[in-house]
Amino acid sequence: MVTETEKEKQQRRLAKFIEERDSYEAMAKAFGQSPSGTDKLYAPLTEAYVEQHNAVIRAAENGEPFVASYYGCQPEIYVAMDLPWYTFLTPVFTNAMSPTLPEEIDATESLFGKDFCTAFRVAGYWVEKDLAPIPTVMIAMLHPCDASLAAHQLIETNEIWRHVPMFGCDPPYWDDDRSLDYYANETRQMISFLEEHTGRKLDVDRLREVCEESNKMYELWIEYNELRRAVPCPHGYGVGLQAFGVAENILVGSPKGTQWFRDLVEDAEMLVKEGKGKVDDERVRIFWFDVVSLGLSLDLFPWLEQEYGAVVVMDMFGYTPYTLIDTSSEETMLKGLGKRALCDAPMMRQARGVADNWIGDIRHVVKDYNINCVVWPGHMGHKDGSANIGMMREECRELGVPFMHIGMDNFDERYTTTAEIKEMFSRFFSAHGLG
Amino acid sequence: TGSTGTELADAYLASIICSFTRHSFNMGLRGEYDFLEGAIWCNTCDHCRRVYDNWKRKVKTPFVHILSLPKKTGEPQVAWYRDEMVILKEGLEKHLGITITDDNLREAIKTHNETRRLQRQLYELRKKEHPPITGAETLAVIVAGTAMPKERYNQMLKELLQDLKGAEGIKDYRARLMITGGILDDPNYIKVIEDQGGLVVTDMLCFGTRILWKDIDEKADDPLQALAQFYIADRLSCPRMFQDYPRRLSVAKDMIRDFKVDGIIGERLLFCDLWTVEHYQMSKEFKPTGIPYMQLDREYVLGGIGQMKTRVQAFLETLGR
Repeated sequence: MVTETEKEKQQRRLAKFIEERDSYEAMAKAFGQSPSGTDKLYAPLTEAYVEQHNAVIRAAENGEPFVASYYGCQPEIYVAMDLPWYTFLTPVFTNAMSPTLPEEIDATESLFGKDFCTAFRVAGYWVEKDLAPIPTVMIAMLHPCDASLAAHQLIETNEIWRHVPMFGCDPPYWDDDRSLDYYANETRQMISFLEEHTGRKLDVDRLREVCEESNKMYELWIEYNELRRAVPCPHGYGVGLQAFGVAENILVGSPKGTQWFRDLVEDAEMLVKEGKGKVDDERVRIFWFDVVSLGLSLDLFPWLEQEYGAVVVMDMFGYTPYTLIDTSSEETMLKGLGKRALCDAPMMRQARGVADNWIGDIRHVVKDYNINCVVWPGHMGHKDGSANIGMMREECRELGVPFMHIGMDNFDERYTTTAEIKEMFSRFFSAHGLG
Repeated sequence: TGSTGTELADAYLASIICSFTRHSFNMGLRGEYDFLEGAIWCNTCDHCRRVYDNWKRKVKTPFVHILSLPKKTGEPQVAWYRDEMVILKEGLEKHLGITITDDNLREAIKTHNETRRLQRQLYELRKKEHPPITGAETLAVIVAGTAMPKERYNQMLKELLQDLKGAEGIKDYRARLMITGGILDDPNYIKVIEDQGGLVVTDMLCFGTRILWKDIDEKADDPLQALAQFYIADRLSCPRMFQDYPRRLSVAKDMIRDFKVDGIIGERLLFCDLWTVEHYQMSKEFKPTGIPYMQLDREYVLGGIGQMKTRVQAFLETLGR
C-alpha cells in the first residue's frame, strides 16, 4: 500500500479549490477581453474570486494561518487581522452548474438522510472524504438553520478536522439591544480565539478602516437598490447575489469592492436615465424570496425574461436593510458588526429569529419595488422558511400580489426539474393574468 | 397525543416540515388546545420554532411566548437564559395576576427533582439481567410524567417501583437495545421493536434520560440561576447544542456499559437535519467498538410497521441474536 505524503495530501485537499480558481481565472480572462455594458462588472468580480482563492492556496502551501468559515461571521475581522479565509460551502455554490455535482450528491446518501440540506450535505461529504483545505482555525456559524449547525458539528468530529480549533458565536433569537450586547461579547471571545490560534493581533484602527470602507460599499449598494425601483428595472437576476458576494465575501472592506459598487451604480444610473431595462418589454416584476439559484441561471431566469418579460427585481441576497457601522469606538464597531451579521445579512436576518423580519421584508419589498408577484422557491434545506408559507401567502393576499411556492433543491435539478418549474410559472402567470 | 391528521396545518407548513410539528399545529388549529391559558416555545429546531410564529397568528391562546435558547453551554449562555426566564416569569405574573416567589420555584424544583429521582430508580431496575419493565412501558411512564400533576404522579411512580422490585423480570428477549433520538412519545413504536425480541433497556430521548438523568440544584441561592444552569449546561443535551457532542458520546458509552447494551437504534423524524448528522456521527463512532447502530427514519404517527419489523429483525440478526 502506498502511503500518501503530506504534500500529496495537501494537493488533494486543494485540488477542488485550484480547479475552482482556474475556472474563475478563465472567466476573468474572457470578461476582461470584451468588456461591454453591464458585463464589464464581471471581470473585477471574477478576478477578486481568483485572488481570494490564491490567498488561501498560498497560505496553505506556505504554512501560514488561514480561516475556514461561513458567510455572515463578521469577515471584516478576518480582513482586519490579515487572515485569508474561505467559506467551506462556496464550492457547492460554484459547482452548482457542474455536470459532476449530481454524482456527488448521490454519493452523500450513503452518509446522511437525503432530506438533509444538499448544500451542507455535499460540503460535509467533502470534509468527510478529506477533499477540502484544512484551515488553521474554523469559525462556525450556528444559525440561521439547523443544517448549518449540524454541518459544523459534523466537521468538529471529523477525524482530521477535530484537530482544527473551532469557535462559533452563539446567536440570540432577538434583534434588540440586549441581544446585540450579548453577541458583541461573543465576538470579543471570537477575536481572542483568533488571536490565540493564528498569532495575529487585531488592530482596532485597521478594523476601523475596514468598517469605514465597507460602509462606503453598503451606502453605494443601498443607492444601487434605489435604482432597481425604476420601471423597467435596469438589471436582472443575479446582480444582487454578486453585490452580496463583493460586500460580504470576496472584497470585504476593500477599496476595490467600493469601486465595483461605484461602477455598478454608474451602469444602473445610465440605464435608468435612458429608460432601458433588463428586458425591453418588462411585464412582470418578481420578488424571488431566497438565494438566486445559480443552477437555474442559465435556463429558467433567461426564459422568464424572454417568454414573459418577467424580471427578478429583488431577491433575498440583494436586499439591503443594512445599518452602517458606527466606527467611533471598538465597542460600537463590534455591536455594529454583530447587527450586520445577525439582523441585516441575508437569511440570517429573515431565518434566524421570529418570523417578523420575514414577513416585514415581503411587505417592504413589494411596496418599494412595485412587485407584482412573490416567489418562495422553497429550497429543500430551508425548513424554517417552508414553515412560513401560510404566513407568506396571507401577507401577499393582504398586499394584493400573487404568491407562488415552488418546492425545489437549489443544487439538484432532479428534485424539481427546470421544465417542471417553467410549467408552474406558466400556469401561475396565466391564472393571475401576468406576462 | 392522539392526533391522526395534519389537514389544517398543511396549508401553513410545506411538506418538508416534520410531522411532529404538523400534528402539533394541526391540533392547535382544530381547537384542541383551546383550554390553554398559555403556550410557551423554545427555538429548539427550525420546525418547532416556527409553530410559535404560526400559532401567534392563527390560534387564540391568551398568552404565547418563545424563549431564546442558546446553542452553546458556557457561562454567558447560562446567564443569557436566566434573563430569558426572568422575562418569562414577569410575563406570566403580569398575564395571570400572580407572583412567583423564589420559594415557589424552590418547591417546584424539589418536586420535579423527586420525579427525576424516582424515574432514575426505574432505569436502575432496567440494568438487571431480567428487567421488570419493557422500554415501551417505560416510555409510557415518562410521557405521563410530563402531563400529570407531579405530586400524584410521584405517588403512583413510587407504587409502581414497589411492584416492580418484586417482579420476576423479562427473560425471553434476544438482545438489549438502546434507543437514541428526539421527541419520541409513542410507546407503540418501541413495542414494535420489542415484539421482534429487542428489549429496549435504556435511551437517549427527549421523553427519557434527556429530562431525568440529572437534578436541578435545590440549594442554590437563586433558583432561576439553578434552572438556567440545568437546562443549558447540566442536563443531557440534544444535537442542537454546539460543541457538546463529546459529552453526549460519553454518556452513550456509559449507558452501553451500565445497561449492557448490545445494539443501538437511532430513530429520527424525517426532515430533521440535526439528527441525521448526529446518528451518522454516532454510528461511525461505535462501528469500531462492535456496537451496531441502526438508523430508523419515522413519521410522528406510527406507520410502515411491516417495513420497520423487517429492518429490526435484520438488525437483530446482525447482532447474532
